[in-house]
Amino acid sequence: MALERFADVVERFTHGYGNGHTLEPRAETVTQWQEELERVVRRAENLQRMLTNPQEPKVGQTPRQEIYKKNKSRLYRYQSKRTHRTPLLFVPNLGISRPYIFDLMPGASFVEHMTREGFDFYMLDWGVFGPEDNDLSFEDCVTRILPRMTRKVLESSGAESLSVLGYCMGAPLSASFLAAYPETPVKNFINMAGPIDFSKIGLFGLWLDEKYFNVDRFVETIGAVPADMVKAGFKLLKPTMDLSTNLNLWWNLWNDKYVEGFNALNRWANEYVAFPGEFFRQWVGDFYQRNKLFRGEAVFGGRPARLSSISCPVFVVGAKEDYIAPPECVRALIDAVSSRDKDYVELPGGHISLIAGRGASLHCWPKVSSWLAPRS
Amino acid sequence: MADASTVNPLLDLWRKQFEESAAAWTRVVGQAPPPPTDPTAFWRPVLNQGLEQWARLFAQTPMTPDLATQWKQFMDQWIEAWSKALGQAMNTDAYAQMMGKYLDQWLVASAPMKKAAEQQIDQALQTLNMASRSQLTAVAKQIIELEERLERMEDTLGAILQRLDHKEPK
Repeated sequence: MALERFADVVERFTHGYGNGHTLEPRAETVTQWQEELERVVRRAENLQRMLTNPQEPKVGQTPRQEIYKKNKSRLYRYQSKRTHRTPLLFVPNLGISRPYIFDLMPGASFVEHMTREGFDFYMLDWGVFGPEDNDLSFEDCVTRILPRMTRKVLESSGAESLSVLGYCMGAPLSASFLAAYPETPVKNFINMAGPIDFSKIGLFGLWLDEKYFNVDRFVETIGAVPADMVKAGFKLLKPTMDLSTNLNLWWNLWNDKYVEGFNALNRWANEYVAFPGEFFRQWVGDFYQRNKLFRGEAVFGGRPARLSSISCPVFVVGAKEDYIAPPECVRALIDAVSSRDKDYVELPGGHISLIAGRGASLHCWPKVSSWLAPRS
Repeated sequence: MADASTVNPLLDLWRKQFEESAAAWTRVVGQAPPPPTDPTAFWRPVLNQGLEQWARLFAQTPMTPDLATQWKQFMDQWIEAWSKALGQAMNTDAYAQMMGKYLDQWLVASAPMKKAAEQQIDQALQTLNMASRSQLTAVAKQIIELEERLERMEDTLGAILQRLDHKEPK
């Protein structure tokens, strides 16, 4: 049946114009063809340039200063006019990808937007881990790295409290830290596309289910999760992604601005980062498989981490087409915290387009800065 | 030349090992093989679904005289249809089970090979009087631990200084 339909499709595609559609060569059509011909020439020129003289895209251009480093992790402070007193600590994901996506290029940078809005912006770069970091666990990040990073932010800014913004895995990491250390002087907490209720996580949740995936055997056999394996996992989530990316590149190859953006984004999208073995074991076991943080069963450094102990103002941003952290799994933070001042917005886009690109600069960044400004 | 009293136990040991491994192989070979799985059984409905979705999307799209745009639409629909069909197929217990099984098989097969390769590389590096990867990793781990200890000392000193500051009369 399906094959017959496919034959119909081919028939329609081949003889579509013969069935009642009479096409007269209008002036408009001729102009369209001329334009398309010009685009084809531009495409060929740009393709030749991309293949023969590939330009290394300049990323992460907003001026910054390294405040502190601990093993592979770095804390950066970005230059700003600082019109808001409360500094903002940005906590991205650990492993998977590099954080320069948030400062991709001038005019398309979340960091640039926030510093322009007068926020004293600090970014935690977890770094690229090697086999020597295999013992680093999720708990170490919560009990050893994050407390020190917040202290360094407060020391460097001279402020008495700070705001924390977690993106993707950075959100459950920060939420775990805030829940385990409720005495931390945190003024505001923002969760951008960070999974909280892992029972609603989607495809990854199914694939990593205890019934099908033995995380202990996995970590004991391969140690750290290599970057190539992380890449394979994410490519598997959307197998047609590369095809549509390349098709859209060809379609827009005549447009120099598109090509510039593509080069920068493509560099980031293909620079995967390995997971330390113990971190992966705890991340998958305690979050994907047992959903400990949301259930209130998580304990870090002997301290119980209950989301209900978070009482500062909370802002949660979900993306409608996010298949890595679906909006319902992100939104769960709102009901779990005890804050009175809490808001949730669901914006168009996916996991990456929520934070990077033109859509983000129109929809997401202004929402975040306008929510945070009066509270800072 | 070795006398019979030292050679005989070695031969006995070798014969015993040979017999045991032969018996183990016989057991493995003698086991009934699992019923062959038909890989097309899972993917055939996915293929049909993809084609159906594509046909549906294609039928809804108006034709334009612009051939390039028409081609782009055609490709977009094709990708969209397959993305949906594959997404649905991968969001099933059967797929997760299949993937988990393949991963397990790969882990079981690769673990001894990985261990053997690492041992051989370590031995080769030792023969060449060079540091092995595991030795370098151990050194890097020690540096990380030292850094951590220094930081803890720094924290303690900071706390002591802070306490002293509070105690000093103003």
